[in-house]
Amino acid sequence: MSTALVVVAKDQILAITQDVFAAMIDGGEVLITERAGAAGEFVDPVCAWVDMTVAALGLGARAVVRTETAAAHELTRALLMMDASEFVGPEDLADAFGELANVVGGNVKSLLAAPAVLSLPTVAAHAPELGAGQFLQDLTLDWRGHILVVSLWMLG
Amino acid sequence: MYVLVADDSRVMRQIVIRTLRQAGYDWQIVEAADGQEVYDLALSEQPDLILSDWNMPNATGIEALNALRQAGCDIPFGFVTSEGSQEMRDQADAAGALFLIAKPFTAESFREVLEPVLA
Repeated sequence: MSTALVVVAKDQILAITQDVFAAMIDGGEVLITERAGAAGEFVDPVCAWVDMTVAALGLGARAVVRTETAAAHELTRALLMMDASEFVGPEDLADAFGELANVVGGNVKSLLAAPAVLSLPTVAAHAPELGAGQFLQDLTLDWRGHILVVSLWMLG
Repeated sequence: MYVLVADDSRVMRQIVIRTLRQAGYDWQIVEAADGQEVYDLALSEQPDLILSDWNMPNATGIEALNALRQAGCDIPFGFVTSEGSQEMRDQADAAGALFLIAKPFTAESFREVLEPVLA
């Protein structure tokens, strides 16, 4: 029952992420691609996540995007069309990186088997720990030489 | 045209405004950061069009739309949201929204949706 709610394939996550990056960041070009192998541990990580909750079922899903903080700075500059030398403040970083997770998560939500409510995005160095049994899917990506990971987890 | 752009993300408001300009709409803009501000600014500023996110703090975009209609305000209203499912589109339509633009969007997708509204 629970896993039937979230049947989202890696290819679907990749397609969503490529659409989001092409439209919002890379001027229509697809510059984010799947990367073979696991991402490994990030040295200075930043995570952004949104929850999709189906209250009637007491279930939901969480979409998490994580990367190195330096990559999140570059993403923020790209989203805000800032120069490479411009300082990225913590508020802009949280806003921009959170919005990326929000748009990816909002599109994942439309693939769930039941109507869900989307949370506002949360940004922190680490996402809250979830049990290994709640892990559903992850996708390691390369964007302009930076590694990003989009993962999907079951809630409830 | 005087347009109210609402999103709790300042970054997304900038992207929406930039995309409007790329689509050829060099409009005067007023910005709102949550649903309550949408309601307040719509009534005080009387914009020609409202482009609103759905999921925002204080009040959601659809709550703001419902409150505006109950207050007798019929300013044209459209959503720009990451949630583009049929269920959301049906809800938006039932509440009186003219359109729903799903994120991510392009200048072309803005033009496709806005041209019929402006005609």
